[in-house]
Amino acid sequence: MFTALPGALAAPPEGKDVLVYSWNSNMGEFNPHLYSPNQMFSQNLIYEPLVHYRADGTVTPCLAESWVISPDGREYTFKLRKDVRFSDGQPFNAMAVKRNIDAIMFNHERHQWLELINQLWKAKEAGKEPATVLDEYTVKLTLHDPYYPALQELALIRPVRFLSPAAMPESGNTSKGIKAPIGTGPWKMVESVKSEYVLMERNEDYWGDKTKTKYLLIKIIPDTNARVVAFETGQIDLIYGGAGHGSGQIGLDSFENYRHVPGVVTKISGPLATRALALNTNRFPTNDIAVRKAILHAVDRDAMVKHIFMDVEQRADTLFSPSFPYCDLKLKPYDFSRDKAEALLDKAGWVLADGAKYRSKDGKELALDLCFAGNDTLMKSVAEVVQGDLKKVGIKVNLVGEEKDSNLARQKSGEFGMIFGSTFGAPYDPHSFVSSMRVPSHADYQAQLGLPMKADIDKAIGQVLVSVDKTKRQELYRYILGTLHENAVYMPITYLTNIMVYRDGLKGAHFGPTKDEIPFETIYKD
Amino acid sequence: MTRYILKRLLLLIPILLAVSLVVFTILRLGHGDPAMAYLRLSSIPPTDQALEVARHELGLDKPFAVQYVSWLGKAVRGDFGISYVTKKPVLDEILYYLPNTLILAGYSLALTLLLSLPLGMISALKKDRLPDHMTRGLSFFGVSIPNFFLGFVLIWIFSIKLHWLPPLGKGGFSHMILPILTMSCMSLCINTRLIRSTMLDNMHSRYVLYARARGLSESVVVGRHVLTNSLIPVITAIGMHAGELFGGAVIAESIFAWPGVGRYAVSAIYNRDYPVMQCFILIMTTIFVLMNLAVDIGYAWLDPRIRMQGDDQ
Repeated sequence: MFTALPGALAAPPEGKDVLVYSWNSNMGEFNPHLYSPNQMFSQNLIYEPLVHYRADGTVTPCLAESWVISPDGREYTFKLRKDVRFSDGQPFNAMAVKRNIDAIMFNHERHQWLELINQLWKAKEAGKEPATVLDEYTVKLTLHDPYYPALQELALIRPVRFLSPAAMPESGNTSKGIKAPIGTGPWKMVESVKSEYVLMERNEDYWGDKTKTKYLLIKIIPDTNARVVAFETGQIDLIYGGAGHGSGQIGLDSFENYRHVPGVVTKISGPLATRALALNTNRFPTNDIAVRKAILHAVDRDAMVKHIFMDVEQRADTLFSPSFPYCDLKLKPYDFSRDKAEALLDKAGWVLADGAKYRSKDGKELALDLCFAGNDTLMKSVAEVVQGDLKKVGIKVNLVGEEKDSNLARQKSGEFGMIFGSTFGAPYDPHSFVSSMRVPSHADYQAQLGLPMKADIDKAIGQVLVSVDKTKRQELYRYILGTLHENAVYMPITYLTNIMVYRDGLKGAHFGPTKDEIPFETIYKD
Repeated sequence: MTRYILKRLLLLIPILLAVSLVVFTILRLGHGDPAMAYLRLSSIPPTDQALEVARHELGLDKPFAVQYVSWLGKAVRGDFGISYVTKKPVLDEILYYLPNTLILAGYSLALTLLLSLPLGMISALKKDRLPDHMTRGLSFFGVSIPNFFLGFVLIWIFSIKLHWLPPLGKGGFSHMILPILTMSCMSLCINTRLIRSTMLDNMHSRYVLYARARGLSESVVVGRHVLTNSLIPVITAIGMHAGELFGGAVIAESIFAWPGVGRYAVSAIYNRDYPVMQCFILIMTTIFVLMNLAVDIGYAWLDPRIRMQGDDQ
């Protein structure tokens, strides 16, 4: 009982040519076409997309060197690179693309949340081939309807990435499992010990710039404090990811401490997504636009950023950062001003009676529920600040902290006054997020339901997704996002960021274009 | 005695059946939704359609009774289902992690017994003198300190400041020292105090006075009579310590990134992975029942009076 376990493996390599990172959970079987327990950041190490999404919102070539979109926006013809091989030596070609698209279609129900897959499936149902081989290095994807974000969604980490056909099961249905994780990417998986570590090795036959380090060792460390200890004791070289509750990397306080430690480099990425409160336009008292605007003016978000987010996340003024495609709309932010908030409430007839703590109108007190996941300390702190700030202008806030799943159930039912949420982040924003505003099970749909122009917003969302004209698309986004902003449906709080912590000796570290793309390939020990 | 043990083992069947039904019911009475948790883990927006697909995939769209009977039918054949999260057979996963936890728990229990016995004895024999004060002070401190905090203190001293021991992960024996110390601290201190107090009680008993009157040496009086009689409550405590150790393992495994079943169970709870939770609780129940049985057998071995009562039955 007290001896080493059978099958114990020799220790993983150490030294200058081994970059050590850590993650909070196992990474599954590295199946490119499936979800949990496969982890997005690790799928991205092995498998590549046809096109890359860049931080400025543009799409650039990857496995496809060029593409042509048909005038009706339904057909995408890709010219593939000719110098790409899978790490098992198999050639990457149009047939490999087709085999992977077919594998994804086997499990189309699981991918229904992604409109691109729906479009490919609908095309298949209509008797068209979702993927057609035109020649060895040319492949055509056919959608049922025009869908402008198709390229962005082809850049996602899952499901449209490419596994070696030799690693597929005989049935071709990868949802039942794969033989081995073989991709075209810069890394190869060489060893995985459950709950201990995963060892990746440089793919020497990689078509692009090879990784600067030979090995990437990913240790499984579930606890954020344990991760800090691992960094302190030199067990890991790099901390990279979200900061704060439930992020899987480290707490904001730990990050703040490292900012002042000599020899330690700390970095904060640009905006990746937005934390926001949705205000329910379909429920008393936030069905009154004056109340919503007053709430936005009454909360001191700068203080929140400084004291809760420790300046790791920057204040958000709009639902999407202006750096996102079609989102630089120059919308006027709701500045912090208690005077403006009180004036709005006074004008709308919400009066503070003598001796009363809170305002009321027609005998009804100005009170609302703010719902959040009770175990999320960050949300709880923000909720308490909102409660305190709104009390100062005579608005009563009842804090409803519940289990995460119960909180999600509220988002579906619309039983909230205000509720926390965040946008999907790059490359899903803005198109996927606005698309989800039309789905009744989303907090956004429920929150917007009281708007007189909700039907028009939904119609515009439908139009923007199939628009083929960029100018028209920009106009539609201006209408959708401008209307939501003017009607004070959201209180943007902060722009979510990634953080990075490493010691001076590490070189080449920079942020990836999206939350889950970590560019390990450029990092090395000096 | 053999009949008694067999009877107790047979009793395990209705206990496990009752526990399985209670656990199965309680899990499903909760607010949470495993399908929702699965979508959250997968970064899939929880639309009605996506939830429906996930529920069907996880078998949660069937009536409760059908789910239970189907699960039970498979469980009696050793098939505890597939983890919602890892999509692997639950029993295989638990059996993969369990040895790691048993290693930590085993060493911790051994350390508890090996250290608490001499410490408790010294404390009792040197009552109200310096060794007693030191042992009691140490025990008071050890019982009071939360083990997660102790874990971090040990890491800070031995890993960060002194660089003597590795703080995390699984490797050689050196990787186990800090988790073992963290897990065994509370049991060790409780046991030390228990041995001290029971020895002091026994040392004032009539049979000790009689033994001394018979001219037996002090070492025989303490070693053969006092110590043997003082061990009976300790045996009871060991049963409780086993529970404490498994509870402590959950925390120690998280702090020290040790790949054990406690950590696995915690992540299953967080992810609402019902099959894992059900299997884990049943295995823990079995371990506890067997521990209690071992304690009862230990009583009989130590105390002839209990053995005679057993024979009468």
